[in-house]
Amino acid sequence: MSRFIHNTLQDVRYALRQLRKSPGFTFTAIVTLALGIGANTAIFTLVQQILLRRLPVNDPRQLYRIGDTDDCCVDGGFQNDNGDFAIFSYDLYRQLRDTAPEFEQLAAVQSGQNSAYVRRGEQDTKNLRTEYVTGNFFTTFGIGPYMGRVFSAADDQPGAAPVLVLSYASWQGDFGGDPSVVGSTVFIQTHPFTVAGIAPPGFFGDRVSNNPPAIWIPINNEPLVEGANSILHNGDQNWLYPIGRVRPGTSIPALTSKLSTSLRQFLNTRPIYVAFGAQSEIAKQHVVLSPAGGGIQNLQIETGRGIRMLMILATVVLLIACANIANLLLARTTTRRGEIAIRMSMGAARTRLVSQMITESVLLACCGGLAGIAVAYLGSRMILSLAFPASEHMAIDATPSFIVLAFAFTVSLITGLLFAIAPAWMSSHAQPAEALRGVNRSTRDSSSLPQKALVVVQAMLSVVLISAAILMTRSLGNLEHQNFGVQTANRYVVHFDPAGAGYTIPRLPEMNREIQNRFSALPGVTHVALALYPPLDGNNWSEGVFVQGHAAPKPNDASWSTWDRVTPGFLDAIGVSVVHGRNISDQDTAATQPIAIVNQAFVKRFFPNEDPIGKHFGVGSVEYGGAFEIVGVFADFKINSPREVPRRVFLRPMTQQFNGFKEKQIITGESRSMYPDSIILSFNHPQQQIEELARRTLRSIDPNLTITRVGTFDAQVADNFTQDRLLSRLTTLFGVIALILASVGLYGVMSYFVARRTSEIGVRMALGATRTSVVAMVFRSALVQVIVGFALGIPAALLAGHLMASQLYGVGAYDPLSISAASLVLALCAAVAVLVPARRAATIEPMRALRIE
Amino acid sequence: MANDKLIEIEDLTKVFYTDEVETHALSGIHLTISRGEYVAMSGPSGCGKSTLLSILGLLDTPTGGKYLLNNKPVENLSFGERSRIRNQEIGFIFQSFNLIGDLTVEENVELPLTYRAGMPSAERKKRVKEALERVNMAHRMRHYPAQLSGGQQQRVAVARALAGSPSILLADEPTGNLDSKNGEAVMHLLADLHREGSTICMVTHDPRFAKHAEREVHLFDGKVVSEDELKKLTAEVEA
Repeated sequence: MSRFIHNTLQDVRYALRQLRKSPGFTFTAIVTLALGIGANTAIFTLVQQILLRRLPVNDPRQLYRIGDTDDCCVDGGFQNDNGDFAIFSYDLYRQLRDTAPEFEQLAAVQSGQNSAYVRRGEQDTKNLRTEYVTGNFFTTFGIGPYMGRVFSAADDQPGAAPVLVLSYASWQGDFGGDPSVVGSTVFIQTHPFTVAGIAPPGFFGDRVSNNPPAIWIPINNEPLVEGANSILHNGDQNWLYPIGRVRPGTSIPALTSKLSTSLRQFLNTRPIYVAFGAQSEIAKQHVVLSPAGGGIQNLQIETGRGIRMLMILATVVLLIACANIANLLLARTTTRRGEIAIRMSMGAARTRLVSQMITESVLLACCGGLAGIAVAYLGSRMILSLAFPASEHMAIDATPSFIVLAFAFTVSLITGLLFAIAPAWMSSHAQPAEALRGVNRSTRDSSSLPQKALVVVQAMLSVVLISAAILMTRSLGNLEHQNFGVQTANRYVVHFDPAGAGYTIPRLPEMNREIQNRFSALPGVTHVALALYPPLDGNNWSEGVFVQGHAAPKPNDASWSTWDRVTPGFLDAIGVSVVHGRNISDQDTAATQPIAIVNQAFVKRFFPNEDPIGKHFGVGSVEYGGAFEIVGVFADFKINSPREVPRRVFLRPMTQQFNGFKEKQIITGESRSMYPDSIILSFNHPQQQIEELARRTLRSIDPNLTITRVGTFDAQVADNFTQDRLLSRLTTLFGVIALILASVGLYGVMSYFVARRTSEIGVRMALGATRTSVVAMVFRSALVQVIVGFALGIPAALLAGHLMASQLYGVGAYDPLSISAASLVLALCAAVAVLVPARRAATIEPMRALRIE
Repeated sequence: MANDKLIEIEDLTKVFYTDEVETHALSGIHLTISRGEYVAMSGPSGCGKSTLLSILGLLDTPTGGKYLLNNKPVENLSFGERSRIRNQEIGFIFQSFNLIGDLTVEENVELPLTYRAGMPSAERKKRVKEALERVNMAHRMRHYPAQLSGGQQQRVAVARALAGSPSILLADEPTGNLDSKNGEAVMHLLADLHREGSTICMVTHDPRFAKHAEREVHLFDGKVVSEDELKKLTAEVEA
């Protein structure tokens, strides 16, 4: 053992000396490795922080969530075609909790999060993220307070005094770390709450999120905050994720089965699940229990594929870097052939020489790894800021953790071993008799083939990466430059929250009118509209459609439609034209016939061979089929996802609340939809100070009306592609790195080729070879490697395209254009890389070259 | 003079094969070297001296014939076995010194000992010091080869060959890269070592240095010949 340590120390000492002796080589190798290892570590930081991270709570392995998919945020009716029920009403949560004593504790958390106006004393109102949770939320996680107290069961009773718990990050950031905040009164949407306590630092809630909640509120306070829009006691509105601690020894399959039975029993008691033959669907409804040590997996589901793809691409970059370093080391091994022969003549065993080579490589890789950690830290910070540009108190930290450091060290070790293989193999096959011949004596160079093979591997991997980069760039281009059906130039979206400002439904028409009038009076404004939500903002309201005179749709019929509530100028403000009938107008009031305008996709689905004008339809139930009269048809536009074909959409006037609904949940939805969330402004020229302008105008109407978010319509649309843009940029970055590394590799090999064959070239020229033929000889040699690289790379690129298919838009996975472009780019770079050594070869003076021998 | 045999070679051949050419470098060599003997091998360029020395030093393997070292057959050993025996039984002195430029004098001399299993560090240091003292280079222990003259480098190479207490020293043109003064000094050093009991086999084409040996073996076209035969064959070639 001591001998092993001694040998290793000796090898390390010698390796350090070697690295010091060749600063150029050392620098190049460390920079190359830093890029490769850094890229991998940066992506792994995201993998660890988002995909692998466990909640910082007691024994997270005991935690299970009832449900497994992200069905945020409020859902009515059946949820997934396969019967998977993943989001629950409060009543259903309580039934499941009472059915399953196998849970030590079962909490429920809001599937989405709200923004709320929060004010303390005379301080400015803040817009903070809140989350409703059951009273056992903190005790389920085993989390105590940092200051004050956490919730108790008593806090979550109807009529209990309203309390809240602040996150540590919010306490620090939004309340200045003031300890007196505990016990003080804070207003949420104008309602007073007592701050019960502050959660401990590091606890970010029930899920890894780029926007964790600042405030937790007991779920029984939801009616207080939401007022008429409360859904707590609506047994058909599913909006909660149950998460709990399972007792040790519990059979998860048995518990799943038990909970599924309980679910079906509950659904059988609810009219909306049994009406119109829907009962037949109940039999297949079930729950899935998913391990929740990492929390609710929304972000993981959303970003997982992209992160995994980046991890693969980063690994390919690292492989290319390895091939490059291996090539450099091979060239060095060749120059150290004499030394290796001497060591062998002294009796060095092959294993000893191999271990020395490996020690050198691993040491180099570790140096690269250290530099790579710095690259990773900067890289992961950059990636996070690009991926989540508007995040506050993000629960994702770019600082390398112990696991990330261990990963970087492991990758460095593996990298060192990988690129040591070829030089070590060369060393172990050196001939000790060369020591007698002398190092300058001409011997056959066996490093040439492995070097060429490594260049082939680099070319192959580069084709894959560049092709992937081109695919992603084209996909992003297609996404960004597609025809959304709306016009975005000189248009701005101002988000606000009338409910948070204390507005009730009777006061809304006056507010809407005032907003319309004041904003219309601003210089340069061409159109103003209010909407329940603007297009392409990630929001969606949808309902099942029942057409008067048509048979009720069957449970599996695609009879739903997205809908929005807007003021008359909405279509003009977003640049969409009415193609048939009329637009919503000021004459559509609360006192007139409820109307709707529908898009072409709606007509195609529900009125394929009819003129829809004058026809009636309704939502929620067949009995409301006559609720809305269709007065116009507008052109299709993308309202929700830019990746989908235009959905069926109908628009209703902001002025018309339908009072014919009888079911509580439909009435609640109808009431909620009366509150506009956004003002859409169209100008005749670009605006520089839109935020200040909007803030001032809203304040002039009511000082309580404040902006929650403002931006250009362009930026709002562009927000849909943040992840695509990030993937595209990183893939392009990786592609460029790959291209540079492959070109440097080819340049190195061809330079070595020319240097090694200097005397041969001299002889050839002495025998009459022209400079052109020498250049051609060098290019021919390079061409073979590049062509073989293409031959292997093109099928690999096709496979990569196939694997990336789900990330692509408007471009096929098998895209000849991308592969051709990738091949062309690589060929051009290869030509440039070979040009320098080829020119050097062509300028060799025959007599000088012959003297080298 | 010792009377036991250290090296016994019978009908040794070495053939090099290239794509189209078969070169017989050694053709039926018979040679015996006794323990404590000082043998010089000479002959014209290309006669097979270095090839024979490579095989004697287990740097290369013969194509045919027998080779006994310390009464043990070594012609068919594995690479690893040859490495081990080379390390323990053979010390090399090369024409171009072959010191490793990145190692100090001390580390160069210690090098063969580091490849020897089980030798404690203190023992290695002791042997290195003794070997360098024998060649009067102990004062240059911390120097790098590039900081030494050619003669000094060769003395360090001799110390490296001695450090492992080998059974035989194999020297390949040890004066080839030295001026006459340094060359003479190295030859005196070898003579001293021989007097102290070392077995030496030296390849040289310089008759002046060959005279330092007890016995001279002449090679011509891969065969051992007598001095008279060598003169006759050389004359024939020159004619």
